[in-house]
Amino acid sequence: MPETKGDLTMAVKDIAEAVAVFDRVKVVELVEAEIAAKTEIDEILNAGLIDAMDIVGKRFSSGELFVPEMLMAAKAMKAGLEVLKPHLSAGAVAAKGTVVIGTVKGDLHDIGKNLVALMMEGAGLEVVDLGVDIDAEKFVKAAVEHNAGVVALSALLTTTMPTMEIIVAAIKEAGIAVKTIVGGAPVTEAFADQIGADGFSTDAPGAVELTRKLLST
Amino acid sequence: MNAAERMKAAINMEPVDRVPNGPFYEAPICQYYGSSFRAALLEDQAMADAHLAGLDEFKFDWVMVGMGLIGGIIPEALDCKVSYPEDVFPIIEETTIKSIEDVARIAKSDMFTKRMDRFLKGIAILKRELKGEIPIACEYISPFTIATRLRGTNEIMMDMYENPDLVRDLQEVLVPLNIEVGKALIEEGVDYIFYGADMECPILLSPKHYKDFVDEPTTKVCNELTRLGAKVLPHMCGSIVETGIVDMLMKMDIHGIMPGNLTQETVLDIRELKEKVGEKICIFDNINPNGPLLIGTPEEVAAETRAHLENAKGMSGYIFSTAGTSSPNIPKENYLAMNREVLNFQ
Repeated sequence: MPETKGDLTMAVKDIAEAVAVFDRVKVVELVEAEIAAKTEIDEILNAGLIDAMDIVGKRFSSGELFVPEMLMAAKAMKAGLEVLKPHLSAGAVAAKGTVVIGTVKGDLHDIGKNLVALMMEGAGLEVVDLGVDIDAEKFVKAAVEHNAGVVALSALLTTTMPTMEIIVAAIKEAGIAVKTIVGGAPVTEAFADQIGADGFSTDAPGAVELTRKLLST
Repeated sequence: MNAAERMKAAINMEPVDRVPNGPFYEAPICQYYGSSFRAALLEDQAMADAHLAGLDEFKFDWVMVGMGLIGGIIPEALDCKVSYPEDVFPIIEETTIKSIEDVARIAKSDMFTKRMDRFLKGIAILKRELKGEIPIACEYISPFTIATRLRGTNEIMMDMYENPDLVRDLQEVLVPLNIEVGKALIEEGVDYIFYGADMECPILLSPKHYKDFVDEPTTKVCNELTRLGAKVLPHMCGSIVETGIVDMLMKMDIHGIMPGNLTQETVLDIRELKEKVGEKICIFDNINPNGPLLIGTPEEVAAETRAHLENAKGMSGYIFSTAGTSSPNIPKENYLAMNREVLNFQ
Protein backbone atom coordinates (compact mmCIF):
# COMPACT_ATOMS: atom_id res chain seq x y z
CA MET A 1 0.00 0.00 0.00
CA PRO A 2 1.35 3.44 -0.84
CA GLU A 3 1.84 5.80 2.12
CA THR A 4 -1.04 8.26 2.47
CA LYS A 5 -1.69 11.77 3.73
CA GLY A 6 -5.38 11.77 4.46
CA ASP A 7 -7.08 10.43 1.37
CA LEU A 8 -4.20 11.09 -0.97
CA THR A 9 -1.09 9.15 -1.81
CA MET A 10 2.12 10.67 -0.57
CA ALA A 11 3.48 10.81 -4.12
CA VAL A 12 0.58 12.94 -5.34
CA LYS A 13 1.18 15.33 -2.46
CA ASP A 14 4.82 15.39 -3.50
CA ILE A 15 3.76 16.64 -6.92
CA ALA A 16 1.99 19.56 -5.29
CA GLU A 17 5.03 20.26 -3.15
CA ALA A 18 7.33 20.15 -6.18
CA VAL A 19 5.09 22.69 -7.95
CA ALA A 20 5.20 24.92 -4.89
CA VAL A 21 9.01 24.99 -4.98
CA PHE A 22 9.07 25.44 -8.79
CA ASP A 23 10.91 22.17 -9.42
CA ARG A 24 9.52 21.27 -12.82
CA VAL A 25 11.96 18.44 -13.45
CA LYS A 26 10.72 16.75 -10.31
CA VAL A 27 7.10 17.52 -11.20
CA VAL A 28 7.51 15.76 -14.53
CA GLU A 29 9.25 12.78 -12.94
CA LEU A 30 6.58 12.42 -10.27
CA VAL A 31 3.67 12.75 -12.70
CA GLU A 32 5.25 10.14 -14.98
CA ALA A 33 5.77 7.85 -11.99
CA GLU A 34 2.17 8.24 -10.87
CA ILE A 35 0.85 7.53 -14.36
CA ALA A 36 3.02 4.41 -14.47
CA ALA A 37 1.72 3.40 -11.03
CA LYS A 38 -1.86 3.63 -12.40
CA THR A 39 -2.89 6.37 -9.99
CA GLU A 40 -6.20 7.92 -11.00
CA ILE A 41 -5.49 10.62 -13.57
CA ASP A 42 -8.08 12.92 -11.99
CA GLU A 43 -6.32 12.59 -8.66
CA ILE A 44 -2.95 13.56 -10.17
CA LEU A 45 -4.60 16.52 -11.89
CA ASN A 46 -6.73 17.74 -9.01
CA ALA A 47 -4.74 16.88 -5.91
CA GLY A 48 -1.32 17.18 -7.50
CA LEU A 49 -1.43 20.08 -9.93
CA ILE A 50 -4.62 22.09 -9.39
CA ASP A 51 -4.42 22.05 -5.60
CA ALA A 52 -0.80 23.15 -5.81
CA MET A 53 -1.74 26.22 -7.79
CA ASP A 54 -4.57 26.99 -5.40
CA ILE A 55 -2.06 26.97 -2.55
CA VAL A 56 0.39 29.09 -4.52
CA GLY A 57 -2.43 31.50 -5.37
CA LYS A 58 -3.37 31.90 -1.73
CA ARG A 59 0.25 32.58 -0.80
CA PHE A 60 0.34 35.20 -3.58
CA SER A 61 -2.86 36.83 -2.33
CA SER A 62 -1.50 36.99 1.21
CA GLY A 63 1.67 38.73 0.04
CA GLU A 64 3.94 35.79 0.79
CA LEU A 65 4.75 35.16 -2.87
CA PHE A 66 5.20 37.62 -5.72
CA VAL A 67 4.89 37.54 -9.49
CA PRO A 68 8.17 35.73 -10.28
CA GLU A 69 7.23 32.93 -7.89
CA MET A 70 3.74 32.65 -9.39
CA LEU A 71 5.21 32.40 -12.87
CA MET A 72 7.72 29.79 -11.81
CA ALA A 73 5.09 27.69 -10.07
CA ALA A 74 2.80 27.94 -13.07
CA LYS A 75 5.62 26.84 -15.34
CA ALA A 76 6.23 23.79 -13.15
CA MET A 77 2.51 23.00 -13.10
CA LYS A 78 2.26 23.30 -16.87
CA ALA A 79 5.20 20.93 -17.32
CA GLY A 80 3.27 18.35 -15.30
CA LEU A 81 0.07 19.09 -17.18
CA GLU A 82 1.80 18.47 -20.53
CA VAL A 83 2.76 14.98 -19.34
CA LEU A 84 -0.76 14.36 -18.13
CA LYS A 85 -2.64 15.72 -21.12
CA PRO A 86 -2.50 12.63 -23.38
CA HIS A 87 -4.03 10.63 -20.54
CA LEU A 88 -6.91 12.98 -19.79
CA SER A 89 -10.27 11.95 -21.09
CA ALA A 90 -11.56 14.26 -23.82
CA GLY A 91 -14.10 15.92 -21.59
CA ALA A 92 -12.05 16.13 -18.43
CA VAL A 93 -10.71 19.63 -18.99
CA ALA A 94 -13.49 21.08 -21.11
CA ALA A 95 -16.01 20.02 -18.50
CA LYS A 96 -14.60 22.62 -16.10
CA GLY A 97 -15.33 25.35 -18.62
CA THR A 98 -13.66 27.54 -21.21
CA VAL A 99 -12.36 31.06 -20.71
CA VAL A 100 -11.38 33.49 -23.45
CA ILE A 101 -8.86 35.96 -22.09
CA GLY A 102 -6.95 38.94 -23.45
CA THR A 103 -5.58 42.39 -22.78
CA VAL A 104 -7.81 44.98 -24.37
CA LYS A 105 -7.11 47.05 -27.46
CA GLY A 106 -4.43 49.69 -27.03
CA ASP A 107 -2.80 47.95 -24.08
CA LEU A 108 0.29 45.80 -24.44
CA HIS A 109 0.66 44.82 -20.81
CA ASP A 110 0.35 41.13 -20.31
CA ILE A 111 1.70 40.30 -16.89
CA GLY A 112 -1.65 40.33 -15.11
CA LYS A 113 -3.42 38.65 -17.97
CA ASN A 114 -0.77 35.92 -18.14
CA LEU A 115 -0.99 35.30 -14.41
CA VAL A 116 -4.74 34.94 -14.60
CA ALA A 117 -4.46 32.64 -17.61
CA LEU A 118 -1.89 30.47 -15.88
CA MET A 119 -3.94 30.27 -12.71
CA MET A 120 -7.02 29.35 -14.70
CA GLU A 121 -5.13 26.62 -16.51
CA GLY A 122 -3.87 25.52 -13.13
CA ALA A 123 -7.48 25.30 -12.00
CA GLY A 124 -8.24 22.92 -14.83
CA LEU A 125 -10.07 25.38 -17.05
CA GLU A 126 -9.55 25.50 -20.77
CA VAL A 127 -8.03 28.88 -21.56
CA VAL A 128 -7.99 30.57 -24.94
CA ASP A 129 -5.42 33.34 -24.60
CA LEU A 130 -5.88 35.91 -27.35
CA GLY A 131 -2.82 37.91 -26.29
CA VAL A 132 -2.65 41.68 -26.06
CA ASP A 133 -4.15 44.63 -27.94
CA ILE A 134 -7.40 42.75 -28.61
CA ASP A 135 -10.47 44.52 -29.95
CA ALA A 136 -14.15 43.75 -29.37
CA GLU A 137 -14.59 41.88 -32.61
CA LYS A 138 -11.84 39.39 -31.76
CA PHE A 139 -13.24 38.78 -28.27
CA VAL A 140 -16.74 38.14 -29.63
CA LYS A 141 -15.46 35.88 -32.40
CA ALA A 142 -13.34 33.81 -30.01
CA ALA A 143 -16.15 33.52 -27.45
CA VAL A 144 -18.47 32.11 -30.10
CA GLU A 145 -15.86 29.88 -31.73
CA HIS A 146 -14.76 28.29 -28.44
CA ASN A 147 -18.16 28.27 -26.79
CA ALA A 148 -16.67 30.17 -23.87
CA GLY A 149 -18.40 30.47 -20.54
CA VAL A 150 -16.40 33.50 -19.48
CA VAL A 151 -14.58 36.27 -21.29
CA ALA A 152 -11.86 37.87 -19.15
CA LEU A 153 -10.63 41.36 -20.02
CA SER A 154 -7.40 42.80 -18.68
CA ALA A 155 -6.00 46.34 -18.73
CA LEU A 156 -3.10 47.94 -16.93
CA LEU A 157 -3.38 51.38 -18.43
CA THR A 158 -5.99 53.76 -17.17
CA THR A 159 -6.10 54.91 -20.75
CA THR A 160 -7.42 51.61 -22.03
CA MET A 161 -10.05 51.01 -19.37
CA PRO A 162 -12.76 52.65 -21.51
CA THR A 163 -12.09 49.98 -24.13
CA MET A 164 -13.37 47.43 -21.62
CA GLU A 165 -16.73 49.11 -21.71
CA ILE A 166 -16.80 48.92 -25.50
CA ILE A 167 -15.96 45.21 -25.42
CA VAL A 168 -18.48 44.36 -22.70
CA ALA A 169 -21.15 46.20 -24.70
CA ALA A 170 -20.18 44.38 -27.90
CA ILE A 171 -20.44 41.00 -26.17
CA LYS A 172 -23.90 41.84 -24.84
CA GLU A 173 -24.96 43.15 -28.23
CA ALA A 174 -23.81 39.92 -29.88
CA GLY A 175 -26.34 38.10 -27.70
CA ILE A 176 -24.02 35.28 -26.70
CA ALA A 177 -24.45 33.51 -23.39
CA VAL A 178 -21.11 34.38 -21.88
CA LYS A 179 -20.15 36.17 -18.69
CA THR A 180 -17.61 38.98 -18.72
CA ILE A 181 -15.06 39.66 -16.01
CA VAL A 182 -12.58 42.51 -15.81
CA GLY A 183 -9.35 43.09 -13.95
CA GLY A 184 -6.02 44.87 -13.89
CA ALA A 185 -4.29 47.26 -11.54
CA PRO A 186 -6.40 50.34 -12.24
CA VAL A 187 -9.75 48.54 -12.46
CA THR A 188 -12.15 48.86 -9.56
CA GLU A 189 -15.39 47.14 -8.63
CA ALA A 190 -17.22 50.42 -9.15
CA PHE A 191 -15.81 50.64 -12.65
CA ALA A 192 -16.77 47.03 -13.37
CA ASP A 193 -20.31 47.72 -12.22
CA GLN A 194 -20.47 50.89 -14.24
CA ILE A 195 -19.56 49.18 -17.50
CA GLY A 196 -21.90 46.25 -16.88
CA ALA A 197 -19.31 43.52 -16.40
CA ASP A 198 -20.45 40.39 -14.55
CA GLY A 199 -17.51 40.34 -12.22
CA PHE A 200 -14.27 41.88 -11.06
CA SER A 201 -11.26 40.61 -9.16
CA THR A 202 -8.30 42.32 -7.60
CA ASP A 203 -5.91 39.46 -8.30
CA ALA A 204 -5.37 36.26 -10.25
CA PRO A 205 -6.50 33.77 -7.59
CA GLY A 206 -9.63 35.84 -7.08
CA ALA A 207 -10.28 35.76 -10.82
CA VAL A 208 -10.15 31.97 -10.74
CA GLU A 209 -12.63 31.79 -7.89
CA LEU A 210 -14.90 34.27 -9.62
CA THR A 211 -14.76 32.30 -12.86
CA ARG A 212 -15.54 29.04 -11.09
CA LYS A 213 -18.54 30.73 -9.48
CA LEU A 214 -19.79 32.25 -12.73
CA LEU A 215 -19.39 28.96 -14.57
CA SER A 216 -21.39 27.15 -11.95
CA THR A 217 -24.38 29.48 -12.20
CA MET B 1 5.62 82.59 -4.66
CA ASN B 2 5.76 81.46 -8.25
CA ALA B 3 5.52 77.78 -9.11
CA ALA B 4 9.27 77.23 -9.16
CA GLU B 5 9.68 78.85 -5.75
CA ARG B 6 6.72 76.93 -4.31
CA MET B 7 7.99 73.55 -5.49
CA LYS B 8 11.51 74.30 -4.36
CA ALA B 9 10.28 75.35 -0.91
CA ALA B 10 8.24 72.16 -0.51
CA ILE B 11 11.16 69.98 -1.60
CA ASN B 12 13.34 71.77 0.95
CA MET B 13 10.72 71.35 3.73
CA GLU B 14 10.22 75.11 3.89
CA PRO B 15 6.87 76.94 4.27
CA VAL B 16 4.75 77.44 1.14
CA ASP B 17 2.03 80.00 0.35
CA ARG B 18 -0.33 77.21 -0.71
CA VAL B 19 -0.20 73.48 -1.42
CA PRO B 20 2.00 72.86 -4.47
CA ASN B 21 0.00 71.30 -7.28
CA GLY B 22 1.99 68.61 -9.09
CA PRO B 23 -0.27 65.92 -10.56
CA PHE B 24 0.61 63.40 -13.28
CA TYR B 25 -1.39 65.39 -15.73
CA GLU B 26 0.24 64.70 -19.07
CA ALA B 27 -2.29 62.37 -20.67
CA PRO B 28 -5.45 64.39 -20.01
CA ILE B 29 -3.76 67.64 -20.95
CA CYS B 30 -2.49 66.14 -24.20
CA GLN B 31 -6.04 64.97 -24.86
CA TYR B 32 -7.66 68.30 -23.99
CA TYR B 33 -5.18 70.53 -25.78
CA GLY B 34 -3.07 68.43 -28.15
CA SER B 35 -3.40 68.78 -31.91
CA SER B 36 -3.34 64.99 -31.60
CA PHE B 37 -2.52 62.81 -28.62
CA ARG B 38 0.54 61.39 -30.35
CA ALA B 39 1.87 64.79 -31.42
CA ALA B 40 1.45 66.22 -27.94
CA LEU B 41 3.48 63.34 -26.49
CA LEU B 42 6.27 63.34 -29.03
CA GLU B 43 6.61 66.35 -31.30
CA ASP B 44 8.47 69.36 -29.95
CA GLN B 45 6.17 72.28 -30.80
CA ALA B 46 2.90 70.33 -30.42
CA MET B 47 4.13 69.04 -27.07
CA ALA B 48 5.05 72.53 -25.88
CA ASP B 49 1.78 74.02 -27.14
CA ALA B 50 -0.36 71.45 -25.31
CA HIS B 51 1.47 71.93 -22.01
CA LEU B 52 1.44 75.73 -22.23
CA ALA B 53 -2.30 75.71 -22.90
CA GLY B 54 -2.82 73.34 -19.96
CA LEU B 55 -0.75 75.52 -17.64
CA ASP B 56 -2.72 78.54 -18.67
CA GLU B 57 -6.00 77.01 -17.53
CA PHE B 58 -4.92 74.71 -14.69
CA LYS B 59 -2.07 76.68 -13.08
CA PHE B 60 -0.07 73.56 -12.29
CA ASP B 61 3.12 74.09 -10.35
CA TRP B 62 5.14 72.09 -12.81
CA VAL B 63 5.18 70.86 -16.35
CA MET B 64 5.26 67.11 -16.58
CA VAL B 65 6.36 65.46 -19.80
CA GLY B 66 7.81 62.10 -20.72
CA MET B 67 5.16 59.47 -21.38
CA GLY B 68 6.19 59.31 -25.01
CA LEU B 69 9.82 59.15 -23.93
CA ILE B 70 9.47 56.17 -21.63
CA GLY B 71 6.76 54.41 -23.60
CA GLY B 72 8.28 54.65 -27.05
CA ILE B 73 11.39 56.74 -27.61
CA ILE B 74 13.70 54.95 -25.15
CA PRO B 75 12.58 51.38 -26.02
CA GLU B 76 12.86 52.21 -29.73
CA ALA B 77 16.38 53.60 -29.29
CA LEU B 78 17.20 50.30 -27.59
CA ASP B 79 16.08 48.34 -30.63
CA CYS B 80 12.46 47.45 -29.75
CA LYS B 81 9.95 47.68 -32.56
CA VAL B 82 7.53 50.43 -31.50
CA SER B 83 4.38 51.77 -33.11
CA TYR B 84 2.97 55.22 -32.43
CA PRO B 85 -0.82 55.28 -32.80
CA GLU B 86 -2.56 58.65 -33.08
CA ASP B 87 -4.79 58.31 -30.06
CA VAL B 88 -3.06 56.04 -27.54
CA PHE B 89 0.36 55.64 -25.99
CA PRO B 90 3.22 54.13 -28.00
CA ILE B 91 3.06 50.36 -28.27
CA ILE B 92 6.06 48.02 -28.12
CA GLU B 93 5.35 45.55 -30.89
CA GLU B 94 8.42 43.39 -30.47
CA THR B 95 10.97 42.92 -27.72
CA THR B 96 14.64 42.76 -28.53
CA ILE B 97 16.49 40.65 -25.94
CA LYS B 98 16.05 37.00 -26.78
CA SER B 99 19.15 35.76 -24.94
CA ILE B 100 22.11 36.99 -22.93
CA GLU B 101 24.09 37.29 -26.18
CA ASP B 102 21.86 40.22 -27.19
CA VAL B 103 22.91 42.29 -24.20
CA ALA B 104 26.22 43.39 -25.75
CA ARG B 105 24.36 44.72 -28.79
CA ILE B 106 22.18 46.91 -26.58
CA ALA B 107 25.25 48.40 -24.94
CA LYS B 108 26.16 50.02 -28.27
CA SER B 109 22.79 51.73 -28.72
CA ASP B 110 22.68 55.34 -29.83
CA MET B 111 20.01 56.88 -27.60
CA PHE B 112 19.85 60.12 -29.55
CA THR B 113 17.48 59.15 -32.32
CA LYS B 114 15.46 61.67 -34.34
CA ARG B 115 12.50 61.16 -32.02
CA MET B 116 14.73 61.75 -29.00
CA ASP B 117 16.02 64.96 -30.58
CA ARG B 118 12.47 66.22 -31.14
CA PHE B 119 11.51 65.38 -27.60
CA LEU B 120 14.53 67.24 -26.23
CA LYS B 121 13.71 70.17 -28.50
CA GLY B 122 10.22 70.25 -26.97
CA ILE B 123 11.76 70.55 -23.52
CA ALA B 124 13.99 73.37 -24.73
CA ILE B 125 10.94 75.25 -26.07
CA LEU B 126 9.12 74.82 -22.78
CA LYS B 127 12.17 75.98 -20.84
CA ARG B 128 12.42 79.09 -22.95
CA GLU B 129 8.71 79.91 -22.69
CA LEU B 130 8.45 79.28 -18.95
CA LYS B 131 11.37 81.57 -18.14
CA GLY B 132 12.29 79.64 -15.04
CA GLU B 133 8.99 80.47 -13.33
CA ILE B 134 7.54 76.98 -13.69
CA PRO B 135 9.80 73.93 -13.30
CA ILE B 136 9.85 71.03 -15.71
CA ALA B 137 9.49 67.42 -14.58
CA CYS B 138 10.14 64.50 -16.86
CA GLU B 139 9.07 60.90 -16.56
CA TYR B 140 11.93 58.46 -16.69
CA ILE B 141 12.27 54.72 -16.18
CA SER B 142 14.59 52.57 -14.16
CA PRO B 143 17.01 50.07 -15.72
CA PHE B 144 14.90 47.20 -14.38
CA THR B 145 11.68 48.51 -15.90
CA ILE B 146 13.44 49.15 -19.22
CA ALA B 147 14.77 45.59 -19.04
CA THR B 148 11.22 44.27 -18.85
CA ARG B 149 10.36 46.25 -21.97
CA LEU B 150 13.35 44.90 -23.88
CA ARG B 151 13.04 41.31 -22.78
CA GLY B 152 9.37 40.91 -21.82
CA THR B 153 8.01 41.15 -18.31
CA ASN B 154 7.35 37.48 -17.73
CA GLU B 155 10.75 36.57 -19.08
CA ILE B 156 12.61 38.98 -16.80
CA MET B 157 10.55 37.85 -13.83
CA MET B 158 11.46 34.20 -14.45
CA ASP B 159 15.04 35.09 -15.40
CA MET B 160 15.55 36.15 -11.81
CA TYR B 161 15.36 32.45 -10.98
CA GLU B 162 16.58 30.84 -14.17
CA ASN B 163 18.94 33.32 -15.75
CA PRO B 164 20.00 35.86 -13.12
CA ASP B 165 23.13 36.89 -15.00
CA LEU B 166 21.00 38.18 -17.84
CA VAL B 167 18.98 40.39 -15.51
CA ARG B 168 22.13 41.81 -13.93
CA ASP B 169 24.12 42.17 -17.17
CA LEU B 170 21.27 43.85 -18.98
CA GLN B 171 20.78 46.41 -16.23
CA GLU B 172 24.53 46.98 -16.09
CA VAL B 173 24.57 48.09 -19.73
CA LEU B 174 21.38 50.10 -19.26
CA VAL B 175 22.71 52.17 -16.36
CA PRO B 176 25.11 54.33 -18.44
CA LEU B 177 22.54 54.63 -21.24
CA ASN B 178 19.95 55.77 -18.70
CA ILE B 179 22.35 58.32 -17.33
CA GLU B 180 23.16 59.61 -20.84
CA VAL B 181 19.47 60.29 -21.42
CA GLY B 182 19.05 61.82 -17.97
CA LYS B 183 22.02 64.10 -18.55
CA ALA B 184 20.55 65.31 -21.84
CA LEU B 185 17.20 65.98 -20.19
CA ILE B 186 18.82 67.99 -17.42
CA GLU B 187 20.93 69.96 -19.91
CA GLU B 188 17.81 70.91 -21.87
CA GLY B 189 16.09 72.18 -18.74
CA VAL B 190 14.46 69.34 -16.82
CA ASP B 191 14.44 70.18 -13.11
CA TYR B 192 12.70 67.11 -11.69
CA ILE B 193 13.30 63.53 -12.72
CA PHE B 194 10.24 61.46 -11.96
CA TYR B 195 11.88 58.06 -11.64
CA GLY B 196 9.31 55.44 -12.58
CA ALA B 197 9.90 52.03 -11.05
CA ASP B 198 6.79 50.33 -12.34
CA MET B 199 8.00 46.77 -12.59
CA GLU B 200 10.01 46.48 -9.40
CA CYS B 201 7.28 47.70 -7.08
CA PRO B 202 6.34 45.50 -4.12
CA ILE B 203 3.07 44.55 -5.78
CA LEU B 204 5.18 42.55 -8.24
CA LEU B 205 8.59 41.83 -6.71
CA SER B 206 9.62 40.63 -3.27
CA PRO B 207 11.84 42.92 -1.21
CA LYS B 208 14.53 40.25 -1.50
CA HIS B 209 14.48 40.39 -5.30
CA TYR B 210 14.42 44.18 -5.13
CA LYS B 211 17.54 44.10 -2.98
CA ASP B 212 19.29 41.45 -5.09
CA PHE B 213 18.53 42.85 -8.54
CA VAL B 214 17.25 46.41 -8.44
CA ASP B 215 18.77 48.32 -5.55
CA GLU B 216 22.28 48.70 -6.97
CA PRO B 217 21.44 49.91 -10.51
CA THR B 218 18.75 52.21 -9.11
CA THR B 219 21.19 53.70 -6.61
CA LYS B 220 23.73 54.32 -9.36
CA VAL B 221 21.26 56.11 -11.61
CA CYS B 222 19.52 58.17 -8.93
CA ASN B 223 22.77 59.27 -7.34
CA GLU B 224 24.26 60.31 -10.66
CA LEU B 225 21.18 62.27 -11.75
CA THR B 226 21.24 64.12 -8.46
CA ARG B 227 24.93 64.86 -8.93
CA LEU B 228 24.08 66.25 -12.37
CA GLY B 229 21.69 68.72 -10.77
CA ALA B 230 18.21 67.19 -10.94
CA LYS B 231 15.80 66.63 -8.11
CA VAL B 232 15.09 62.90 -8.25
CA LEU B 233 11.65 61.61 -7.29
CA PRO B 234 11.11 57.86 -7.37
CA HIS B 235 7.58 56.66 -7.97
CA MET B 236 6.53 53.26 -6.77
CA CYS B 237 3.21 51.54 -6.20
CA GLY B 238 2.46 49.17 -3.35
CA SER B 239 3.36 48.78 0.28
CA ILE B 240 6.73 50.49 0.23
CA VAL B 241 6.78 51.11 3.98
CA GLU B 242 5.75 47.66 5.15
CA THR B 243 8.14 45.90 2.78
CA GLY B 244 11.09 48.08 3.69
CA ILE B 245 11.56 49.32 0.12
CA VAL B 246 11.36 52.89 1.35
CA ASP B 247 14.37 52.25 3.59
CA MET B 248 16.40 51.24 0.56
CA LEU B 249 15.19 54.26 -1.41
CA MET B 250 16.11 56.61 1.42
CA LYS B 251 19.72 55.47 1.29
CA MET B 252 19.90 56.93 -2.23
CA ASP B 253 20.40 60.60 -3.10
CA ILE B 254 16.74 61.35 -3.76
CA HIS B 255 14.52 64.31 -2.94
CA GLY B 256 11.02 62.92 -2.68
CA ILE B 257 8.82 59.87 -3.02
CA MET B 258 5.70 59.50 -5.08
CA PRO B 259 3.78 56.51 -3.73
CA GLY B 260 1.23 54.94 -6.01
CA ASN B 261 -2.08 53.36 -5.20
CA LEU B 262 -3.29 52.05 -8.50
CA THR B 263 -4.91 49.12 -6.78
CA GLN B 264 -7.41 49.64 -4.03
CA GLU B 265 -5.66 47.01 -1.94
CA THR B 266 -2.45 48.95 -1.68
CA VAL B 267 -3.48 52.48 -0.84
CA LEU B 268 -0.72 53.98 1.26
CA ASP B 269 -1.64 56.60 3.83
CA ILE B 270 0.88 59.34 3.33
CA ARG B 271 0.82 60.06 7.08
CA GLU B 272 2.37 56.61 7.52
CA LEU B 273 4.96 57.45 4.89
CA LYS B 274 5.66 60.81 6.52
CA GLU B 275 6.40 59.11 9.82
CA LYS B 276 9.00 57.06 7.99
CA VAL B 277 10.70 59.76 5.93
CA GLY B 278 10.42 62.62 8.44
CA GLU B 279 12.04 65.80 7.20
CA LYS B 280 14.51 64.04 4.92
CA ILE B 281 12.54 63.99 1.67
CA CYS B 282 9.25 65.39 0.41
CA ILE B 283 6.11 63.40 -0.28
CA PHE B 284 3.79 63.55 -3.25
CA ASP B 285 0.21 62.62 -2.46
CA ASN B 286 -1.50 59.74 -4.18
CA ILE B 287 -5.09 60.49 -5.13
CA ASN B 288 -6.41 57.57 -7.14
CA PRO B 289 -6.49 58.53 -10.83
CA ASN B 290 -8.95 55.72 -11.52
CA GLY B 291 -11.47 56.48 -8.83
CA PRO B 292 -13.89 59.40 -8.85
CA LEU B 293 -11.46 61.37 -10.99
CA LEU B 294 -12.10 58.99 -13.88
CA ILE B 295 -15.60 57.73 -13.23
CA GLY B 296 -17.16 60.04 -10.63
CA THR B 297 -18.81 63.43 -10.62
CA PRO B 298 -17.01 66.73 -10.07
CA GLU B 299 -18.55 66.87 -6.59
CA GLU B 300 -17.14 63.43 -5.75
CA VAL B 301 -13.73 64.43 -7.09
CA ALA B 302 -13.77 67.60 -5.00
CA ALA B 303 -14.69 65.64 -1.87
CA GLU B 304 -11.91 63.08 -2.39
CA THR B 305 -9.39 65.81 -3.09
CA ARG B 306 -10.42 67.72 0.03
CA ALA B 307 -10.05 64.56 2.11
CA HIS B 308 -6.49 64.10 0.88
CA LEU B 309 -5.62 67.72 1.52
CA GLU B 310 -7.13 67.65 5.00
CA ASN B 311 -5.21 64.48 5.81
CA ALA B 312 -1.97 66.24 4.87
CA LYS B 313 -2.81 69.59 6.43
CA GLY B 314 0.20 71.17 8.07
CA MET B 315 2.57 68.52 6.74
CA SER B 316 5.94 69.86 5.65
CA GLY B 317 7.32 68.78 2.31
CA TYR B 318 3.88 67.93 0.95
CA ILE B 319 3.02 68.21 -2.74
CA PHE B 320 -0.40 67.33 -4.07
CA SER B 321 -0.38 64.72 -6.83
CA THR B 322 -2.15 61.79 -8.35
CA ALA B 323 -0.92 58.26 -7.72
CA GLY B 324 0.10 57.60 -11.26
CA THR B 325 -0.71 58.29 -14.83
CA SER B 326 -4.05 59.96 -15.31
CA SER B 327 -6.20 58.67 -18.12
CA PRO B 328 -6.73 60.91 -21.15
CA ASN B 329 -10.38 59.99 -20.76
CA ILE B 330 -10.80 61.82 -17.46
CA PRO B 331 -13.61 64.32 -17.99
CA LYS B 332 -12.19 67.81 -18.06
CA GLU B 333 -14.73 69.03 -15.48
CA ASN B 334 -13.39 66.40 -13.07
CA TYR B 335 -9.81 67.46 -13.54
CA LEU B 336 -10.84 71.08 -13.07
CA ALA B 337 -12.75 70.16 -9.89
CA MET B 338 -9.63 68.51 -8.44
CA ASN B 339 -7.53 71.44 -9.47
CA ARG B 340 -9.87 74.02 -7.94
CA GLU B 341 -9.77 72.26 -4.58
CA VAL B 342 -5.98 72.27 -4.51
CA LEU B 343 -5.60 75.87 -5.58
CA ASN B 344 -8.21 77.10 -3.08
CA PHE B 345 -7.28 74.93 -0.13
CA GLN B 346 -6.38 76.89 3.00
